[in-house]
Formats: sequence, C-alpha cells, structure tokens
Amino acid sequence: MAAAEKLLEFQFPAQSDHLCILREKLREVLGTCSSSEELRNCIVLAVGEACMNIIEHAYCNNDQGDIILEVEKQGNNMIFRLTDFAHRKSCEEEMVGRPLEEVRPGGLGCHIINEIMDEVRLIDCKTKHGNVLQMKKKLDI
Amino acid sequence: MKSNLRYEINYDVLDLSGEIDLHHSPELRKKILGSLKNKKSLLINMQEVSYIDSSGIASLVEGFQTAKENKLSYGLLRISEPAMQVLTLTRLDKVFSLYDSIDQFQSQLQA
Repeated sequence: MAAAEKLLEFQFPAQSDHLCILREKLREVLGTCSSSEELRNCIVLAVGEACMNIIEHAYCNNDQGDIILEVEKQGNNMIFRLTDFAHRKSCEEEMVGRPLEEVRPGGLGCHIINEIMDEVRLIDCKTKHGNVLQMKKKLDI
Repeated sequence: MKSNLRYEINYDVLDLSGEIDLHHSPELRKKILGSLKNKKSLLINMQEVSYIDSSGIASLVEGFQTAKENKLSYGLLRISEPAMQVLTLTRLDKVFSLYDSIDQFQSQLQA
C-alpha cells in the first residue's frame, strides 16, 4: 500500500462564515491532484456538508470550538479527516441519510456525503470529547 | 451570495449569484418566503450560482412547499451546472419545475 502524503491540515472556527475559506483551501489542494472539475466540485460539496453537520449538530450552532480538516493522498485515494472537539459524541446512525421520497427541507447532508464519498466512517476518538470523521474518495485518473 | 428581487405583474423573479451555504441560507429563505407571502408566483434564477449546499437547497424546498400550499407557481430558471449536480444528487431535479427561459414560465402561468 502506498504511503499517505499529507496535503493539508487546516484548523478553523466552527462557524458558518468560515465555510467559504474552507472551500477555498480545499479547492487549492484538489487543483493539484488529477481529477475532473465535476469530481472536485462534488468533493468540496461533501466536505462542506460534513463541516456543516459538525457546526449544527456537534457544536449545536453555538459558535464555540474548532474543526480540523486533514487531507491526505494515498495512491489514487484521497482521505479527508475532520476532527471536532465538541462535548457531544456522534454515532454512526447519524450518518445515514433520510429517504429522498419525502420532499421536505433538511436532512439531505448525510445523503449527499454518502453518495459522493466511497467510504464514510466515524473513527473512535481516544479523547473524552470530540469526534473524528474520515471520508475516502478514489480519484478518477 | 448576492440576490436581487425583480417585480413583474403576475410574478417575481429572484436572481441569485455566487455561493450559497449555511451562512447565506437564512437570508435566502427570508427572501423566498417574503416574496411568496405577497401571494405572487416566484421564479428563481440560478444561472450565476457557483455553489449551493443542502442548507440552500432546504430554503428552495421550503419555498416549493409554501408555493404549493398557496397554489402559486414556483420554478427554477437556468440552473448552473454546480447547482444541477446537487439537485440531481438529491433527486430534486424531478420535483422542482425547471425552466430554460422566462417565456416558458410565463406560458405556464397563462395555461
């Protein structure tokens, strides 16, 4: 297995006005990897959705705490790891999307993440607080 | 996100541009519901939307439901490629009325 190469580590406040900066950083990194524009857009969307989940559900929109995004490349796979320091622990069930037949606002974020990424899992964090979400995506090269 | 609401006789047109995320979706929701509150049909121009996430989509869905409840026409105009990607992923491209031109929307209003 190829060694993982770290492409980015970016820590930012878990606030909605920082999401645009996150997307900019992510686009910069993805621009250096061979992939289609469509795939890059999808990855930016999925990572943005995951950050939004952390802001809304882990930190409960209280504007407290940080998020760390780590991006690694391992062979043809991109690995995106999001760490939060919230008191609330997330569980795997929360990462399952709702049925799309129900046309109602909200609840689409997890569906989007699962549709785009090849693998989505919560890594058990050794610390008392916080969560680590890891997402993998194979590049179309 | 930038937005501009244009008033026509039978309907409003909401022009959107830029990126729509959790930071902007409350404003988008307010604009959409504010327009529908006046009992006018609404066409949302998405040609210049470079990014939209599920919170922005939620605002569009809420507008769709409100319009339906009030028997008003509600549609999305000239959807940009990034926005269409999200609508397709969430299968909402089959739910919303999509238009290529204002004329198409006007014809539907008169029908």
